[in-house]
Amino acid sequence: MGSVITAEGLTKAFGATVALRDLTLEVQPGEVFGYLGPNGAGKTTTLRLIMGLIRPTTGSVSVLGMDAWRDAVPIHARVGYVPGELVLYDRLTGYDHVDYLAALRGGTRPARVDQLAEQLDLDLRRPARELSRGNRQKVALVLALMTEPELLVLDEPTGGLDPMVQRTVQGLILDHAAGGGAVLLSSHVLGEVQRVASRIGVLRAGRLVAVERLDDLRAKSLHHVEVQFAEAVPAGILDPVPDLRDVTVDGSSLRCSAPQSSLDAVLKVVSAHPVVDFACAEAELEETFLAYYGAGETDAA
Amino acid sequence: MLRDITTKTLRDQGRAFAGWGVAIVLLVAMYVAIWPSMRDQPAMSDFIDQMPEAFRNLFATSGADMSTPVGYLQIELLSFMAPILVILYAVTAGSAAVAGEESRRTLDLLVTAPVSRRRLVLEKTLAMVIGTVGLSALLGLALVVEGRFADMSLPTADVAAAMLHLALLGLVFGGVALAIGCATGSPGLSKGIPAVLAVVTYIVNGLGGMVSWLEPLQKYSPFYQYAAHDPLRTGVSWPAVVVAFVTVVVLVVVAVLGFERRDVHN
Repeated sequence: MGSVITAEGLTKAFGATVALRDLTLEVQPGEVFGYLGPNGAGKTTTLRLIMGLIRPTTGSVSVLGMDAWRDAVPIHARVGYVPGELVLYDRLTGYDHVDYLAALRGGTRPARVDQLAEQLDLDLRRPARELSRGNRQKVALVLALMTEPELLVLDEPTGGLDPMVQRTVQGLILDHAAGGGAVLLSSHVLGEVQRVASRIGVLRAGRLVAVERLDDLRAKSLHHVEVQFAEAVPAGILDPVPDLRDVTVDGSSLRCSAPQSSLDAVLKVVSAHPVVDFACAEAELEETFLAYYGAGETDAA
Repeated sequence: MLRDITTKTLRDQGRAFAGWGVAIVLLVAMYVAIWPSMRDQPAMSDFIDQMPEAFRNLFATSGADMSTPVGYLQIELLSFMAPILVILYAVTAGSAAVAGEESRRTLDLLVTAPVSRRRLVLEKTLAMVIGTVGLSALLGLALVVEGRFADMSLPTADVAAAMLHLALLGLVFGGVALAIGCATGSPGLSKGIPAVLAVVTYIVNGLGGMVSWLEPLQKYSPFYQYAAHDPLRTGVSWPAVVVAFVTVVVLVVVAVLGFERRDVHN
């Protein structure tokens, strides 16, 4: 079975502004792909290209083997989408939305709807204008998931949801992938996707700057090392050890951040001197991620 | 009620339609109520005859006789008030169809459903047609039924003919609104341009008979197709129906092609 999403040289310009530049990407069945980047990096543009809402300037993107722009109708029958800026019809209730979109798909209300609503603790009888942002988001998730699509395209789906519900949504995403479905999940923070994503792509200023398996990122996960020596040590003591970050040597104390792969070398250097105290703690994955892919999170491009 | 885009759109328009319907019924009642006092005032006809010709052409269908029910309605209702109402309704519906949903961002829900953009536009068009024809039919019904109370003898078939032409007049401008909304996504442009166009073509039709350089343009005014043949007296003009119908079809095709080729804004 081929890729669910294949983007090749995908570029989108709005007038003189290039929102997405030369994106090449594949998402496989059963995979949850975390699509990360600051606001304005081009995540939403990518997702809208995949959903056939906008047309590529150059390059192409195919979904389930079909062209995202030309074959939008048969693709949409097999894809669930949660838009980033979700707007519902104010006067319609959750059930009205469900029934309307089910009818546009040529069917009636799927049996799964009530079960999803219960899992998400959502009252589908209320009109959209009375719903909080989080509850609207839940309606959107129900609409995307109710037909059990082969691909889920989710643009920051857990924004506005409380942590408990975020867990539920993550559970739904994992179930979907376990059943062989693919998920493209965008977010501006790793924390939202790290529990579910098998791979992540990092987008910055319209360019995909890295694609990495989450396991590989974990292997690179940084450890904070703090050592107190009995006597002053040379400032360049750790120079032979590769891949270290934030090394500070101040007389008899030393600090650094080391990936797992460098820990052994660090220990060997350290143990050559008399040690009073030693501490080593694994950093949050988010910190590792920022260390490798920069703190440019606030630089909306 | 939510089986497809047309019924959903009609449901959205339902409240507006009810409001417009009440307004039309009351408006007709008002005109009908004034009729007896107008009929007994021969001075009214003299007054209109004495109006400057340009004025008479702009605000009254020429040649109408205020002392007959048909002439009275033509001058008072059908040459100005009714077209405004029906055109406003159709333009609002045409603009709301795509540009309105797009600016409220609900269009994403429709475009990402397995529904082609062509079908989306056509279903929205159907809703606009049903609403505009419905409103015109309501106006015709109000005229015939309420007219009976005031002893106005109105030929039903000719009222129906006038309403057919009225609905087509509305749909031409509604079609312009739809096409511009589909091509640009702008609610402002899709309401503003048809409004300006309506005023200009109204004036061209009104003054075309007198201003020599406007005369060749007069026939292209949708208002000429609407009333030049005096539908309340002479019935349906099939050539005028065909011209208006073809115009609407062309505008809908433009709307579909425009929307199929462009990005949906977010």
